Amino acid sequence: MRARDWRVLALAAAYLYLPILVLSLFAFSDDAVIAFPITGLTLRWFGALAGNAAFLDGFATSMTIAIPVGAISALGGLAAALALRGATLRPRAAWWAAPFAALLLAPFLTPRTVLAVAQSMALSELGLRRGMAVLGAAQVLVILPFTTALLTAALLRVDPRLEEAGRDLGAGPWACFQRVTLPLVRGPLMAACSAGMILSLADVTLATFLAGRAQPLSVVVASEFMREMRPDLNAMQVVVLSVTALAVALAALWRRRR
Amino acid sequence: MKARREAPAPPVALFAALCGLAPLVAMAVVSVARIEDYTLALDLRAWREVAASPVMRGLIGQAVFYGAILACLTPLAAYPIALALARTPMAWKWLGAVVLLTPLYTGEIVRIYAWRLMLGAQGLINAALGWAGLIEAPVQALLYTRLSALIVMFYNTLPFMVLAIWAAVEAFDRRLAEAARDLGASPWVVFRRVTLPLTRVGLFAGMGVVFALGAGDALTPALMGGANGATAMSMIESLFGAAFDWPLASALGLALMLTLAGCVAALTLLAGRARRSARRSARRRGKI
Repeated sequence: MRARDWRVLALAAAYLYLPILVLSLFAFSDDAVIAFPITGLTLRWFGALAGNAAFLDGFATSMTIAIPVGAISALGGLAAALALRGATLRPRAAWWAAPFAALLLAPFLTPRTVLAVAQSMALSELGLRRGMAVLGAAQVLVILPFTTALLTAALLRVDPRLEEAGRDLGAGPWACFQRVTLPLVRGPLMAACSAGMILSLADVTLATFLAGRAQPLSVVVASEFMREMRPDLNAMQVVVLSVTALAVALAALWRRRR
Repeated sequence: MKARREAPAPPVALFAALCGLAPLVAMAVVSVARIEDYTLALDLRAWREVAASPVMRGLIGQAVFYGAILACLTPLAAYPIALALARTPMAWKWLGAVVLLTPLYTGEIVRIYAWRLMLGAQGLINAALGWAGLIEAPVQALLYTRLSALIVMFYNTLPFMVLAIWAAVEAFDRRLAEAARDLGASPWVVFRRVTLPLTRVGLFAGMGVVFALGAGDALTPALMGGANGATAMSMIESLFGAAFDWPLASALGLALMLTLAGCVAALTLLAGRARRSARRSARRRGKI
């Protein structure tokens, strides 16, 4: 680790966080016009937020979708990761590993709009209604590659001999999973859960097509953004960012305590 | 034992096939089918229309252009960051990952909005340039142009490229680079002859992901691109929604996907060839 490395990392962090800092700064700006220089500071935009029914409804809808999506993509990611680790442990028998990984990865690499339009068409051909459940399934589909990658990395650090020892001592496959493997990856599993939640909150494109009458926050905000920039939208984003930061910090803590 | 290890795979695969693959297959059917006297008939009108339309071909080309530019530019910034991250002490790496990933988790909308505040006529960059006395009038070209869309997409895709290269750098034995340094190679030569060839897999994987994300991004051009905000994706959306021309929307969507997949396949092929030729030249050098 040299001084130059620290400088590179400081520069990268500044680049990644400067736009977010500027956004947060304007949420506290007293001036209704969003422009430099900032003349005074206020909290009134946050107050205005509390009286905005569209935002509050949107927030409730978003959380209703995000929490199950986070949990299901974490569990699905764990299942996929267990299978993929099994494949690396016995590569001879694992002809299916590459097509399986490709199947998981494909929805993530398909342009979101194309995927959402295809799903909308399939739904209306089947006569199914759009709504939270459909949107949740579509979000799980594009979030799975993230959680799978996260949990595969975690599982590869687990010593397979621990599980073999458990089996040798007479534990069945389920008991072995529950008493040996699961405790070892509990931290990463929680991290995957909050990553899935956050990615669900952030999604706009799928929600535009599949949400139906339920309007998540991201869709509400996106339609406002098309028109203008407003200080109370800044305050809104700061709230979303704070929730995100909290979830990331908790996830990091869980991972550390592993 | 063998079957047990693979047991979790089928349900997940079934879910992915049902929610991801099946709709795309349905889309392919819609693009070539026409209902005629209560029976399905083959109709290639939509595909012919896509092939004949200069606008649609242009939009697909634009998607490839955005993706290719990002895939080529992001490694330039990602390599120094990934190499620095790889050299951080073990205890600090998790913090590096959190710092790198947090902007990814903020919604696309938040990021686009934040960059509007950066790039606008009264934004941070113009304010800073004006304050420094470098410009007299605000630079208008920064917001609502193709350039502004690219600036934001670069910001959006950089963390993915850093992650891919970082993983590859962590995997290779850095004593090889140190040995090259000890034997008198300059830092640039070490990078070109040792680090780059040994992290090529990560680089190509990152390029594939960044290409797909950049080419498939509809939101950033729509919200940042101003008059040039139209994308193949926005056209598919309006064909599907407003024009209600499902076959044409499907054909355009699939043409876009096939083009993008073709580009990624070409990249993979290139990666394979580069790896083979590197191995061959290494073997030759070994013989001498």
